[in-house]
Amino acid sequence: MELADTLRPDGDPNGGVLAHLERLETRMHRSRKKLEEPQTVQAEETALVTEIQKLRRLRDKLRAEVKRRQAGVKASTANVEPDQTWEITEQEVLERKWENLKAILQAYRFTGLSGRLTSRGVCVCISTAFEGNLLDSYFMDLTMQKPLRIHRHSVPVFIPLEELSAKYLETNIQHFLFTVCEYLNAYSGRKYQADRLQSDFAAFLAGPLQRNSLCNLLSFTYKVEPRGQSFPLCARLLYKDLTRTLPTDVTVTYQGMDALSTSWEEQRASQENLFRTKPLHHVFTSFARKGEMLDMSLVS
Amino acid sequence: MDETVAEFFKRTILKIPMTEMMTILKAWGFLSENQLQTVNFRQRKESLVQDLVLLCEKKRASLNDAAILDIVYTQFHRHQKVWDVFRMSREPGEDIDLFDMEQFKRSFKKILQRALKNVTISFRDAEENAVWIRIAWGSQYRKPNQYRPVYVVYYSQTPYAFTSSSQLRSNIPLLGQALTIASKHHQIMKMDLRSRYLDSLKAIVFKQYNQTFETHNSTTPLQERSLGLDINMDSRIIHENRIEKERVQRVTQETFGYYPQPRLEFAQYKLETKFKSDLNGGILAEREEPLRCLIKFSSPHLLEALKALAPAGIADAPLSPLLTCIPNKGMNYFKIRDK
Repeated sequence: MELADTLRPDGDPNGGVLAHLERLETRMHRSRKKLEEPQTVQAEETALVTEIQKLRRLRDKLRAEVKRRQAGVKASTANVEPDQTWEITEQEVLERKWENLKAILQAYRFTGLSGRLTSRGVCVCISTAFEGNLLDSYFMDLTMQKPLRIHRHSVPVFIPLEELSAKYLETNIQHFLFTVCEYLNAYSGRKYQADRLQSDFAAFLAGPLQRNSLCNLLSFTYKVEPRGQSFPLCARLLYKDLTRTLPTDVTVTYQGMDALSTSWEEQRASQENLFRTKPLHHVFTSFARKGEMLDMSLVS
Repeated sequence: MDETVAEFFKRTILKIPMTEMMTILKAWGFLSENQLQTVNFRQRKESLVQDLVLLCEKKRASLNDAAILDIVYTQFHRHQKVWDVFRMSREPGEDIDLFDMEQFKRSFKKILQRALKNVTISFRDAEENAVWIRIAWGSQYRKPNQYRPVYVVYYSQTPYAFTSSSQLRSNIPLLGQALTIASKHHQIMKMDLRSRYLDSLKAIVFKQYNQTFETHNSTTPLQERSLGLDINMDSRIIHENRIEKERVQRVTQETFGYYPQPRLEFAQYKLETKFKSDLNGGILAEREEPLRCLIKFSSPHLLEALKALAPAGIADAPLSPLLTCIPNKGMNYFKIRDK
């Protein structure tokens, strides 16, 4: 996940953070709606843009009102206690700065790796994401003593955390954190793909999706067209590299057929290649699109 | 349908309380909605059971289907069994665990059936990539006893397996071997951890019981939570030991945290230690042999009870580490000897 540019060099930190968060939000919404008709996406985009502009105008109006009222308060109390008003504005400035910093610290979790000091040491937060979708967050409570150790964590038990901490925690904490990030992001990505397949493309599956805790072995029987007469295919995806979201080994076979004619063999090999190069749910999205195009050509 | 299978169906369905009958039958999934609607669920239990067994017979239900119903019943009533925990390990530097559930089931079944001719093995997949296994043991000359099965719950790609305690202990090594080999581990050992509450055992070994972390996004800063003492409630009330009470609260919160404790029913300590005394002399002080005794703490919710000890004034805070280490170490059976 790319690092967020939370402070723009134009000297207006507030606009930078909020604008950036808004961009991330719209990006998330946009990529979620990739499967829908392009027209509705466009329409929704323009609707969102107008909404954002409306909200911005409202915000500016409210800010101006707040400033006006503050100025009014200052003016009225200026005659009575000159010293106190000076203190109030300084306190207000400091409070605004503090709120700012709190908001920036809260927004840091969008960078994927953030932390907070605790009485014992530091609590690291790893926020995983895949294709711009923010997924689960995992935490590690580290104690800043010699030896540096993990006091407790919410990393799932099937991620090899003990191995990684034994190797890298003491010697190279940066490498340790980045490696754990890699493992967790890859796991989240694989899980996301498997979940998408099960929920959005159930019509293409001829049986249940076989998976395991790490989502590094997926086995399923599918059809390229959900309603059509195409032959069912069996796919077996192995993800031997736990830091990647694409499979390392793919086997696709036509169910119950050993010897294939050249055209069928070509199809089979191309299916294997698809699964090897594209994320799982994208492969099925392309099947769905092809089906739509076929339908459209039949209609016209 | 075989007479023994019909009897097994009858006894299994009879176990189910009437209030749960529909839920469990639906979860079982063998009888369809339409078929269930043809049965009168308002009649007396004995007649209802007869109708259901007839339905199963008509649908040619097998022994395996009955075993699956037994698993479903046990999943709903997991507290009726006492669960042990086994931990498996493998040599370091092994290949990535590409766990294939179907391969695991095949391998597990093959190993048991190779060793024992008469054994019934059934599987039911559960949430979080886990599997419930039901094993009815037989012997060379006897058919499997369906009324004393052992259940195993295994979460894929983890080193832990949970088994229901059974009287028939002779088959446990074989069970351990089958689990170890099928899940591609090398060794298995029994942990000193036992409870009726399967979910608490899972929380303890997977370390899922303490999941509130301090982040910038948490709304309630942990330190500001009420310590349970409303000091300013009424100015006419004077708390004499306020400082001590606050210290006890603080130490208790530090030890037990702010999370709900996992549920255990007992902790057992086997002591083999020599008598220690501050006073000089006395009969026991000269005794060379260690004293042997067994101390057992029982409670409907042991860890919550321990947490309440110091604030209630019954024990000093901090409590003995022998009591507070239970979830951390994943043990509730201890053997204590002199060093």
